[in-house]
Amino acid sequence: MVPKFKPSPLRIRSFCTKTVQQNPHHWPIKQITKTNFNESLSEIKNHISSSDFIAVSLQNTGSFSSPWHRVSTFDTPETAYLKAKFAAERFQILQFAICPFKLQASKVIAYPYNFHLFPRDELKMGMPSYSFTCQTSYLTAMAKEGFDFNTCIYDGISYLSEAQESAAKVRMGNPMAVDHATKSSSSPALSVADTVFIERVRSRVKHWKNACTDSDIKTEAALVTSLRKIVLGGEQFGSRPSMTIDVCSERQVQLVLKMLEDFSDVLVPLIIPAKGGGTQAVRAVLTSSDEDKHLLKRELQTFEFEQNKRVRGFREVIDLISASQKPIVAHNSLNDFTFIHSKFLAPLPPNMNEFICSLRLAFPQVIDVNYLLKDIGPVKKMTNISATIAYLKNRFFAPIEMEIPNQANENEGKIHGHNVVKICQLFGKLCSILKITPDAIESSDDFLASAINRYANIFYSLPGSSQEPTNEEIRGWTNDKRKVSCEDVVFLWGFRERISAGILKNMLQGSHEVFAEAFNVRMVDRSCAIVVFGKPGLSNTFKNVMNSKEVSGPLREMVSDGLKAAGYETYQRVCSSGLWESALADALDKALASHNCLSEAAYETKQSEIYLSNELINLAEL
Amino acid sequence: MKKRWPITILYRAFSSSTTSTTASFPLKHVKKSNFDSALSSLRHHIQAADFVAIDLEMTGITSAPWRDSFEFDRFDVRYLKVKDSAEKFAVIQFGVSPFRWDPLKQSFITHPHNFFIFQRQELPLDGAAYEFLCQTTSMDFLAKYQFDFNACIHEGVSYLSREQEDKALKHVNSTYEDESLDSWHSLKEIRDTHLFNIPDILFAERMKDRLSEWLGGLLRNRDGGSEVQPSFNDSKQQFETIFFKMRPAISLNGFTSHQLLLIQLVVRKHFKDLAYLRVSGENSCSQNVIVYIESESDKKMLMKEVKDEQKIDAEMSIKASIGFRHVIDLLSSEKKLIVGHNCFLDIAHIYSKFFGPLPLTAEEFISSVNKYFPHIIDTKILLNSNSILQQRMKKSSTSLSKAFSVLCPQIALGSKSTHLALQPSVKVEVEVDDIRSSNWNSGVKHEAGYDAFMTGCVFAQACSHLGIDFKQQSSSENLAHNEKLREHVNLLYLSWTNGEIINLSTGNRTSESLASNKRKNHYPKILFECIVIVWGFPSHLKAWDIRECISKVYGPTSVISVYHVDETSVFVQFSRAEMVSKFLDLKESLDRNNDPISVLHPLAKLLEGGNTCAASYETYKEICSSTVSKVLFADQAKAVGIKWKTKLVESSDKTKEHESLRKVKAVNSDPSCGERTKNKNFDDVPNDSSYSQLSSDEIIDSFYTREAKQI
Repeated sequence: MVPKFKPSPLRIRSFCTKTVQQNPHHWPIKQITKTNFNESLSEIKNHISSSDFIAVSLQNTGSFSSPWHRVSTFDTPETAYLKAKFAAERFQILQFAICPFKLQASKVIAYPYNFHLFPRDELKMGMPSYSFTCQTSYLTAMAKEGFDFNTCIYDGISYLSEAQESAAKVRMGNPMAVDHATKSSSSPALSVADTVFIERVRSRVKHWKNACTDSDIKTEAALVTSLRKIVLGGEQFGSRPSMTIDVCSERQVQLVLKMLEDFSDVLVPLIIPAKGGGTQAVRAVLTSSDEDKHLLKRELQTFEFEQNKRVRGFREVIDLISASQKPIVAHNSLNDFTFIHSKFLAPLPPNMNEFICSLRLAFPQVIDVNYLLKDIGPVKKMTNISATIAYLKNRFFAPIEMEIPNQANENEGKIHGHNVVKICQLFGKLCSILKITPDAIESSDDFLASAINRYANIFYSLPGSSQEPTNEEIRGWTNDKRKVSCEDVVFLWGFRERISAGILKNMLQGSHEVFAEAFNVRMVDRSCAIVVFGKPGLSNTFKNVMNSKEVSGPLREMVSDGLKAAGYETYQRVCSSGLWESALADALDKALASHNCLSEAAYETKQSEIYLSNELINLAEL
Repeated sequence: MKKRWPITILYRAFSSSTTSTTASFPLKHVKKSNFDSALSSLRHHIQAADFVAIDLEMTGITSAPWRDSFEFDRFDVRYLKVKDSAEKFAVIQFGVSPFRWDPLKQSFITHPHNFFIFQRQELPLDGAAYEFLCQTTSMDFLAKYQFDFNACIHEGVSYLSREQEDKALKHVNSTYEDESLDSWHSLKEIRDTHLFNIPDILFAERMKDRLSEWLGGLLRNRDGGSEVQPSFNDSKQQFETIFFKMRPAISLNGFTSHQLLLIQLVVRKHFKDLAYLRVSGENSCSQNVIVYIESESDKKMLMKEVKDEQKIDAEMSIKASIGFRHVIDLLSSEKKLIVGHNCFLDIAHIYSKFFGPLPLTAEEFISSVNKYFPHIIDTKILLNSNSILQQRMKKSSTSLSKAFSVLCPQIALGSKSTHLALQPSVKVEVEVDDIRSSNWNSGVKHEAGYDAFMTGCVFAQACSHLGIDFKQQSSSENLAHNEKLREHVNLLYLSWTNGEIINLSTGNRTSESLASNKRKNHYPKILFECIVIVWGFPSHLKAWDIRECISKVYGPTSVISVYHVDETSVFVQFSRAEMVSKFLDLKESLDRNNDPISVLHPLAKLLEGGNTCAASYETYKEICSSTVSKVLFADQAKAVGIKWKTKLVESSDKTKEHESLRKVKAVNSDPSCGERTKNKNFDDVPNDSSYSQLSSDEIIDSFYTREAKQI
């Protein structure tokens, strides 16, 4: 094949700012660590706001610990989500690549950045994460790519999720300026106790204020000043005198704030949050003039701004992306967005529905390139982006020119985060093949919106390719397009380890009459297999036989050897109660054991369907 | 010799410019590349050593804040916490420093080695991926001391534990011994059925022709002696004639896996004197060959030959993956005196990483450790338990760096001249790759190799203060048997926090006696049967509030102390054991009756929110034994409890369970024999009519899981 686009060396030399890069290893991806994070933020902000799409790609410390923890074709959206959740809660993101990009005809203009993250406990509060799990194979693979772990750990950017940030603010107990939201608009009727409280505080404040302004005029001996301070309970806030008013309830806070409005010419109220939430006290700060008051307010703002920046760290970028409301392009979005949700938004909710609702608030449009691929035709393995690009290259003429305006000046160190640019490239190719042309972007925003909407928010699962495709039976079965109801699926375990699906099927075939009809067997891991019955109802017959005394013949022999069976609902319970044992057989055993003491009625499972080869989870359907 | 020069010059230049005579040459770092050579030299050093000091760097200590070590840790709980830590975190650096007394030089000679270790998954053992936990603060701590994570992950020495090795060997054996699992026989039947489409049949025919052509040529060649077959040369890229195990063979290249399958079928169907083999060639890529065989017995011989070779290869690769464990095996087989500083956790790590899974109880652990390492000395205990040494330490802290600077100032600070007169100091000479110095200071603390060196120096100096004269000590005599050391050997701090010491050779536990003046015991003696653990209470309640709340019910002297395990849980220590059950009974009834009286009850404040759970100390132990580690204790309890409880009545369930436990305990008045208590309990509960059928089932179930855990 003749390369369709040769990078012209002349062009690279003559336009230094605009280089066309086709060789992935020369893509100038800006590497960002703690040292250059702050200075890069405004640039990133501009690129995000001027882009059409934003591609994201994560490098995590692991994904699944045991073969069956991997999202596979026999998973429903719910179990797939639970598996992704389990991974997202344990592993850590070490690199987060983002790439705001524009599509122009057959050209992708991309601004890739690769952030090195490390969950350093900057505030000494056990946040963002107390600990995280690493998978040796992941670290080894990263090492092979020349990843610099020292840079990452010494100099990675930390972050806090939204939920952690609010918790941290409370725990730090920094005074907050009163915004209008904290002041309640309605003033409730005052009780006698309220009036007494207000008047007492008012007189204290008046006294203190007068004393402060007095002492400004008179020069007093140091001893007298300090005595006065003790008597009046005055303190310093920065260089300004201040006074703390203790409160017992939120109502008193409102009362004090209302009362302090009478002094608003010189006093600025601040709220001191209590450690356990709520308000501990109100602090009144005395300013000398109107300018001084504004100065104080500005100081407070900058203080808060700086502190937020320090606290949020990398989440600033996530906030920028979220605020832009631009469509986000990802590969394997279920995995990526469970990680993003758990690290940067809030702890993951217990089920898929809540997760999607919560995620949509922050990221209204998520496009998975895998789903776009679905429209083109069956692609067997979609885990590898480069392979997918190569596959498309051989099949379609959809040349995409990558333009990466050179922004990485630093030549030092290895360049990481190529995947994010590949995602841009792949997305560009797919758009051109599927005729979601960028021309449409200019002509009609609505068209694009509807075209993109068709593909947005569909969270893909990985194809279950943990099994070597050595067995014809299984391959044929996996290619089967038909839906299989969870009802017809039975999990089998307790047989000899390292048995093949073919042998197991042979063993089952003669063992009982339910196996006279068509059925399929597939290994989930070494300890467990799933059996799919072609005819509805047979699975129940089989389960009943397994649990009854009538079990006879070869099947009885197998049961005596330890064979066990359970329906799909047991598997769902394994996932939902977090029985992530390393062998699925152990997990199923535990689930059965804990189930015995529960009434059956509590676990009436909804009939749901799994799609054996069309394993997608559509937001619209949920 | 040449190599030495630049460093020596550097050393001289450095030492002449400063007044101190501290030598500064780098520690000996051992990575993948120099492991083999380092191991062989270390072998000699260890064999000759009087004792070997060790130190480990890990990726973390506690997997959750509530797993930290507390004064309220009973010894079995303490062991569970150590076990959890050793199982979850990885060892990334291992310092070994063998010390040998040189009678000629009248000084110790040591060779500190700093091993970077990182366990890679080199063998296909089983499905589960190797993984380890990192505690963020520990990683940050290591980063602060410039730990080289790249050296560790990129070039760290890998290892296999004894158990992993055994498993892998067994796996190899079963693969190559078991005839029925012969990979190319088992799949035959299934595959035979698939040769039905036209392209496959045509391809198979073509292959058949080509093979018979080759075979014919081969036979002619053997009979007639004509040279190469020209027709066959055209397809040389795909069919390459080679010799395989002294037999003529074809190596197949450039076929798809489906085509190879078809060829395999053709060979089996049509050629009795050809055998299709898939062998793993060099650099682990597999090679497909068709071998000419003379007879069925020849085929069997060939198969056996290939199998044996593959088995040997597989075993070789397992042996090659042992890696760093060779060092541990060496320490164990040489039965040398091992010296560590506060090293109970280190020993647990060594056990779980290089021997096998940690035993379930501290007793089993101790007895197996004693088998592997018969003599261990902990310098921290040594310094705290001997009055002479305490005096020497001038009551300063017994942290390693502090002890080193106090006991070995001549090494730590290089102030040789000033202190020599004041205290007799043991000379220690360091040798790193032929460079020697008696005042070595690599300057990198928290580098395992250097920490091991410091530990060894502290030990040598402490021995001299104890009156051990190394000059008199004959080289053949084991230092561990020296009578002045005897009382310190094999004592380890089970927990530094409460000064509990365990004797590895006898299994006896003692509390620290001598150092009690240093340790201010502000907690009275802890009686674990008086303790209730409470969690899930409203978050604004602090220890004081809880104490007040309970005191209102049982009187001001009822609660001895309330101790925060973490923000979501507290230990409440009652003055008498029976109050535990009273409290749990009361709590249970308050939970059950939601009437005005229980709302106004003083305890209601504690139960607000309806999530407050309480249980005896045994439940705490059970929760500690779980492999799950949630950050908050309340979440942890939920994660553990879900397995055998309905969520609906979670808190009251817990009380019930412990009520029953307590009842049994009252009958069986020996609480120390836990095993018997539980068995008894197991029998008793179903007969107890006061429980509904449902809850007694749950109780059985809960005991069932516990029994299972203990077995």
